[in-house]
Amino acid sequence: MEEEANPIYKNQAYGQFRELLYSYGADGKFEKKVGFHGESDRVTLQQAWDLFNDRIEDARQKVKAGIASPVLYYMEKTLVTPLDLSMHAGINVWRVKRHLKPNVFKRLSDKTLKKYAGAFNISVDQLKNVE
Amino acid sequence: MEQDKVMIDYKHRQAGHCESGATSNLFNYYGVEMSEPMAFGIGNGLYFSYIPFLKLQYAPMMSFRNLPNTVFHRSMKYLGIDATVIKKFKEPKESMAALDRNLEKGIPTGLQVGVFNLTFFPPEYRMHYNMHNLVAYGKDGNDYWVSDTVMEFPQRITSEDLQRVRYAKGVFAPKGKMYWINNVKKDLDIKSAVEKGIKKTVYEMIKIPFPLIGVKGIHWLAKDLKKWPKKHGNETASFYLGQIIRMSEDFGTGGAGFRYIYGAFLKEAAEKFNNPELMEASKMMGNAANHWREFTYLGARNCKNRSKPEEDYGKLSDMLHEIADMEKAVYMKLDKIKI
Repeated sequence: MEEEANPIYKNQAYGQFRELLYSYGADGKFEKKVGFHGESDRVTLQQAWDLFNDRIEDARQKVKAGIASPVLYYMEKTLVTPLDLSMHAGINVWRVKRHLKPNVFKRLSDKTLKKYAGAFNISVDQLKNVE
Repeated sequence: MEQDKVMIDYKHRQAGHCESGATSNLFNYYGVEMSEPMAFGIGNGLYFSYIPFLKLQYAPMMSFRNLPNTVFHRSMKYLGIDATVIKKFKEPKESMAALDRNLEKGIPTGLQVGVFNLTFFPPEYRMHYNMHNLVAYGKDGNDYWVSDTVMEFPQRITSEDLQRVRYAKGVFAPKGKMYWINNVKKDLDIKSAVEKGIKKTVYEMIKIPFPLIGVKGIHWLAKDLKKWPKKHGNETASFYLGQIIRMSEDFGTGGAGFRYIYGAFLKEAAEKFNNPELMEASKMMGNAANHWREFTYLGARNCKNRSKPEEDYGKLSDMLHEIADMEKAVYMKLDKIKI
């Protein structure tokens, strides 16, 4: 476990929090120490966020090109699957999947839009316009 | 919002694991000296399950810890302490009112929350993980003071944010779950509680007749790990491998998927009851934990470089099999020990 706050990674935000870490020495003692994350933790976190960010960027491009609805973008942005989203918003899964199409999204009622906005924790205007 | 200020004299101590940390801090508030590993061990925090058909953040789900609220619930049960767990509230407002009432009575209250919208949490860890625990111990106007044991210091959170995280949706949704201790008896029988705790953990790790839970689950994972590069391609396999490492080394595990904490518990119990067999078991557990750490270190190197995957995955899989055998030896030993 390194004591430095993230010397390696390109995104400096990762691994800036100190946590309590246990370790076991050869002398049979378990030690507690407050320190920064080990390298393995940083590497895998970076890997996960690389994938998430790729997916978010991909979704944004799709929305811009008019292939997908903003629901897809916000879905990826909040790191959920259609099934999770249906639980968050209280809408059936097959309906959520349908709402990923831009044509269907345009015809949605205000009530449904509000449900999505609530699930994503944003306003309805933000939901309609992907920045 | 009413303008009131309540502050309970609650001592925040940082811990490796959120729930056992919260439990041990609550014990200490009521005057029972209890370390984090002790609470973790008595409350059966240790676990392993591998659920390949469920995906968590695009990778197979696995868990190194028990279901949420097990640690608190079981440690109270085994020690015979009068505690209350309210599993769910229908109305969010009602649950916040119940929390306020508790705080006014001077009861520090544990809450199950989701991590995704937790404002003070490190941003890189804000994924959909609904099994986090914190203890609310004060209110200042619209803000609550909470002790989140994985953080170094107590934190402030607004009422709206707290309500949102208490009603996070999804798998294992907290639904406003809260728990607290009513009162503690003077003479606690820690010895029998430790015995019960160890027995239950041994049962869960080697005796459940289902292949995905406990030591068998680790073997299953090792078998699957070998197949990933061929089945899913290198990129995905490396991401899945990353998931194992994230789950075992992430924030709030104490390192090596809680194995260090459990080893520390065995050692503490051995010292308390003067039992050389338990001491031996703690050493074995410590070695297993060190192997876990070695595994995560090698695995992370694989995630970083992605070179010669076939060789690496074979080696990693062998390591996992070895770890599973080491752990099994520990549980077999614990099974025979009389405290």
